[in-house]
Amino acid sequence: MRPVSTAPARETLGRPVDSTGRPGSSSSPLGSRFAGVPWILPAVVLVIGLIYFPIGFLGYTSTLDWNGFILSTPEPIGDANYEEMLGDPVFWGALQHTVVFYVITFSVQTLVGFTFAALMHSRILLSNVYKAIVFIPVVLAPATMAPVFRQTFDQFGPFNGLLNAIGLGDLTRPWLADPTTAMPVVMFITVWQWTGLTFILYYAAMSQLNPEILEAARVDGASSFRVLRSIVWPLCRGTTAVLAVLGLIGALKTFDIPYLVTRGGPNHATEFLGTLVYFTMAQEKHFGYAATLAMALLVLAVTGGVLLRMSTRRSEDG
Amino acid sequence: MFETHGRASRIGLQLLATLMILPFLAPLVFGLQGSFGGLGLGNYAKVWDTGVVPTVFINSAIIAVCTIAIVYVITMTAAYGFSKLRIFGREVWFWALLVALTVPEAVILTPLFVMASNFDLYDELVAVILPLAALQVPFTILIARNFFDGIPNQIIEAARVDGANVAQVFWMVVLPLTRPIAAAIIVFTLIGSWNSYLLPMLMLTDRSKQVVTLLPSYFTSQYTNDQTGVLAAAVMTAVPVIIVYLAFQKSFERGISAGALK
Repeated sequence: MRPVSTAPARETLGRPVDSTGRPGSSSSPLGSRFAGVPWILPAVVLVIGLIYFPIGFLGYTSTLDWNGFILSTPEPIGDANYEEMLGDPVFWGALQHTVVFYVITFSVQTLVGFTFAALMHSRILLSNVYKAIVFIPVVLAPATMAPVFRQTFDQFGPFNGLLNAIGLGDLTRPWLADPTTAMPVVMFITVWQWTGLTFILYYAAMSQLNPEILEAARVDGASSFRVLRSIVWPLCRGTTAVLAVLGLIGALKTFDIPYLVTRGGPNHATEFLGTLVYFTMAQEKHFGYAATLAMALLVLAVTGGVLLRMSTRRSEDG
Repeated sequence: MFETHGRASRIGLQLLATLMILPFLAPLVFGLQGSFGGLGLGNYAKVWDTGVVPTVFINSAIIAVCTIAIVYVITMTAAYGFSKLRIFGREVWFWALLVALTVPEAVILTPLFVMASNFDLYDELVAVILPLAALQVPFTILIARNFFDGIPNQIIEAARVDGANVAQVFWMVVLPLTRPIAAAIIVFTLIGSWNSYLLPMLMLTDRSKQVVTLLPSYFTSQYTNDQTGVLAAAVMTAVPVIIVYLAFQKSFERGISAGALK
C-alpha cells in the first residue's frame, strides 16, 4: 500500500530522485542480513504491543460472554457471538451505511476538491483566503465542531433559519432527529471536514503538471472544461487513487462525527461499525459481542484496503 | 487551469469560487455567532470559570509534543531500516505494519482500556500517548519509506566508502535530506493527537488530566445542555488551532503534499 502519484509528480519539492526513477528498489546496500533489525524494532514493538496484541485479545474475547469487569467470570460460548452478529439487522445496517457513506462522500469530495483546485490555479482574487477557508476544517477536531453542527441543524438552528429566509420554509425540519436526513447531515459534515485535504492534494498535483501540455491543448482549440476532463483529470489519477484508499479506510474508521452529532441515531439511522462497537461495549457492557463486531470491522478494513490497493495499482500500470 | 478571456468569465470564476467556499465558511460563522448568544462574552467567562481551560490546553500540548516526538523518532529509524538496510523478511515486516494502518481506533479500544487498567496507567497521559503513537506510526512509516526510497543509494555508498558506519550515514547523510517528510510527519501527528477525542474520553476521567476536545462536554450532560457554553468552549479550542494553521500555512500544505505525493 504505497501512496502513488502521477509521473510528473516525481520531480517534486526539490527532493532527490533515484536515477532509475523507480523508488523502492529491492537491493539494500547496507549491512548484513539483520543490520536493519534494530532500526525497525521500536516500530515493530510498538505496533505489535498496542495494535496486534489488542487484536489477539479481541479474537479471544469474541468467543466469550463477558461484561468486561475484571472480577466477573467470562463464559466461553464458542461462535455464538458470530452467529448473533450475522443475524443482527443493526450490524448489516451499519455495513450498508458505511458503503453508501463511502461512495457519496468520496464522490462529492473528489468533485468539489478537484474543481476547487483547478479554480485556485486560475486567476482568482484573494485565493489565499479561499484556500484557508476550505482547509481550516481539516485541522479542527470533530469534537470541537460537533456542537456547532448540532446547533446548526437543530429545529430552531441557523440552517432552518436560512431556509425560511430564502422562502424554502417548507423544507425545515429537525434535520438530526429525522431518520431520512440524519445520514445526509453526517455525510455533509464529513465532506465539510475532509474536502480541504482532497483539495490540497489535487492542488499540489496540478502544480506539477507540465504547462506545455496544457498550452498545446489550448492552441489546438480545447476548451477549459475539455482540458480539465481529458488532460488534467487523467494526469491526477495517482492522487485520486491515494484519496480513494484513504477515503475507504476513513469510512470504515468513521466514529467521531456520528458518535458526537447523532449518537448513531435516530433509531440506528447513522450507525457505523465503529459506533456500534463502542455502544455495545460502553453502554450495553456486552464485551464479547463488541469484540466480535470489532473483528468483523477489522477483517473488512484489511480486505478493503488490500483489494482497493490492488485494483488501483492495476489501473496505474494499465 | 481555467483560461480567462475578458472580464465576464473572470467574474464568473470568482463567483463560482465564492459559491463553493460558502458552505465551508457558514458553519464557522454559525459557531462563532452562537457562542455569543445570550450572555455574549459572558459565555466565554463561563467557560473560563470552569477552571480547567489552562489545564486542558497544557495536557493537550503535552500529549501532542510527546506523540510527535515518539512518532518522529520511530518513523525515521524504521523508514531508514526498511529503505536502506538489509533486513531478514523485510517485506513481511513492512506488510505487518501496513495492515495496522487499517485498524480503526474504536476497534482496539476495549483491549487498550483493559491493558491500561492492568498496568495501572488509567488516568495517565501516557495511556493516550502510546496508543496514539501506535495508531499513527504505520501511516507515517509508509509515507516516510516512500520518501527514503527516493534518496539515491549512491550517496549512502559514497559515505560508506568514506568510512561512515550505518548510524553515521543515518545521522549525517540521510536525516538532513528528510526535512519535507519530517514536516509531513509532524503536521499529521499534530492534527491527529491534538484532535483525538475517543482515547482521552475513555482513558482520562480525572479533571486535572483532561484535554481540549473534552472541554465542550463540560456543558452537556444528561440533564443540562448549555448550548451557548458548549459553543463558546468549541470556539475557544478551535481558535488556537486556526491561528497555528494560519501561521504555518505553507508548511502545513507542503508537508501534507510531500506525504501523499511521491
